[in-house]
Amino acid sequence: MEPWQYDPARDLDKSLIDRLKCFPREPDMLVYGARLAAALLMRGWLGVYHRLTIVNRENLPASGSFVIVANHASHLDALCLLSALPLRRLHRAFPAAAQDYFFVSVPRVLLSTVVVNALPFQRRASPLQSLSICRQLLDVDGNVLLIFPEGTRATNGELAQFKPGVGLLLAGADFPVVPCYLEGAGKAWPKGKRFPRPRTVRLTVGSPRRYSHLSPGKAAALEIAGDLQNAVRELASGGG
Amino acid sequence: MSPSAAIASPVFRFYAALALGLIVLAGVILAILRWGLSKNVDHAWQSYRGWLLMMPPVFVAFFLGRVAVIVFFTAVAIFAFKEFARATGLYRDWWMTGGVYLGIIGVGLAALVHDPRLHVAGWYGLFMALPVYVIAAILLLPILRNRSQGQLQLLALSILGFTYFGWMFGHLTFLANAREAYSYLLYLLFAVELNDVAAFVCGRLFGRHQLRSEISPKKTWEGSLGALAVSLLFPWAVWFTFPQLRPGELILAGLIVGIGGQLGDLAISVIKRDVGIKDMGAVIPGHGGVLDRIDSLIYVAPLFFHMVRWFHDL
Repeated sequence: MEPWQYDPARDLDKSLIDRLKCFPREPDMLVYGARLAAALLMRGWLGVYHRLTIVNRENLPASGSFVIVANHASHLDALCLLSALPLRRLHRAFPAAAQDYFFVSVPRVLLSTVVVNALPFQRRASPLQSLSICRQLLDVDGNVLLIFPEGTRATNGELAQFKPGVGLLLAGADFPVVPCYLEGAGKAWPKGKRFPRPRTVRLTVGSPRRYSHLSPGKAAALEIAGDLQNAVRELASGGG
Repeated sequence: MSPSAAIASPVFRFYAALALGLIVLAGVILAILRWGLSKNVDHAWQSYRGWLLMMPPVFVAFFLGRVAVIVFFTAVAIFAFKEFARATGLYRDWWMTGGVYLGIIGVGLAALVHDPRLHVAGWYGLFMALPVYVIAAILLLPILRNRSQGQLQLLALSILGFTYFGWMFGHLTFLANAREAYSYLLYLLFAVELNDVAAFVCGRLFGRHQLRSEISPKKTWEGSLGALAVSLLFPWAVWFTFPQLRPGELILAGLIVGIGGQLGDLAISVIKRDVGIKDMGAVIPGHGGVLDRIDSLIYVAPLFFHMVRWFHDL
């Protein structure tokens, strides 16, 4: 008799938390179910408590892999952006989250991985390696990457300098990138506060653009970062 | 089974005291070995941590009562099956896995509800008939999705998964409905663990001849026979917890635990070897997965259940 081919999970030898910490994660029915329940609750809460309005949602590509970049002032940012995506993309949308912050304690790991489906980003230790993981993610059709090029939550209401990493990812590649602007998130749940306040949040989705015509390199990366920063700034002032 | 019954029951109090005593004793011995004699006890300490993690939820469930115990063991069955599914690759097929999950929940429900005709806790008729319905439903899945490639393997793994980890293990859950639930359940849990520990200790002390070299190279005949001897004696030591059992039944109980315990362990080892893995998971520190801990119990519980049921009302 021909022996059967077994296909054991790749993370059998890891404990529950270690499994969630590694990336990419093995699909897990129970985690997916929990994430769906959390997503439904999240959308309801954002709609009621923060009266979230999404402008120009149709700008988000309906299929294929793409990147979303946005300003970053609050923990609410990723949650709002995820709510803008259709539910069928729920398990394929990956916000890049700082590994040194979101993956350090068990409760944070659980929240970041189960609810937010975060991608651990080593922003200080090895950003290039993390970018390469982002690239592999985008190479699989249908994945959405959420990146905050400012690198950290801004505290003064101004747009901080966009780091060039996102440019390295996009130069010469055919993935559309959608700039977005979040207004009010920083006031609702600013850095340092424990709980969010009931302030209105407004998400404006810009038009997607590609940078496939630029040859990969540091110059292109800086150009793209600057271009995206302008795009987000324009959305902030009411254009785009 | 209920909190007040637990406090009042001499059986519950005895086993709770025994568990506490063993934990304290083991802790003291480990401490002496580590700090008194400076021996390396890392491996034993990891195992000990696992025990510290496992014991409280079990006793809390027993304290809370019948419903808590049924829910608890049903959850254990689901996680045990999940480990089997992840190890064999069945987990990638969500319909089959989901079907077995529902079957396992069905087993828990059959144990939970009252028999509509006999008005006793636990619907025995439904419980025993469940494999019919669940297997019929599992066989339906390839037909519904109009697929035949690779389906036989998935069907076989699903049916084995449900019948062994769901229904056979579910006999332990169903025991929560017995009048003497504390006696039977706590005996099984302690006896099976004692059997494992005795096999390990006897194997270390006198182990010479390998038991099943192709399946589990660490087990020895000496270890298993030592464990059998201990398991044959244990029921007599706790006879006062189930005085209704007669000597013949005590011997049978000892044989079921002593032989069945080793067989259950070997059965899961066969699966692990065929798949090519060492442990079924890593959820419990120092012990591996849930399945690595309950493998003996799955085999023993249904045999014990039907033995007792044959001789007494459950």
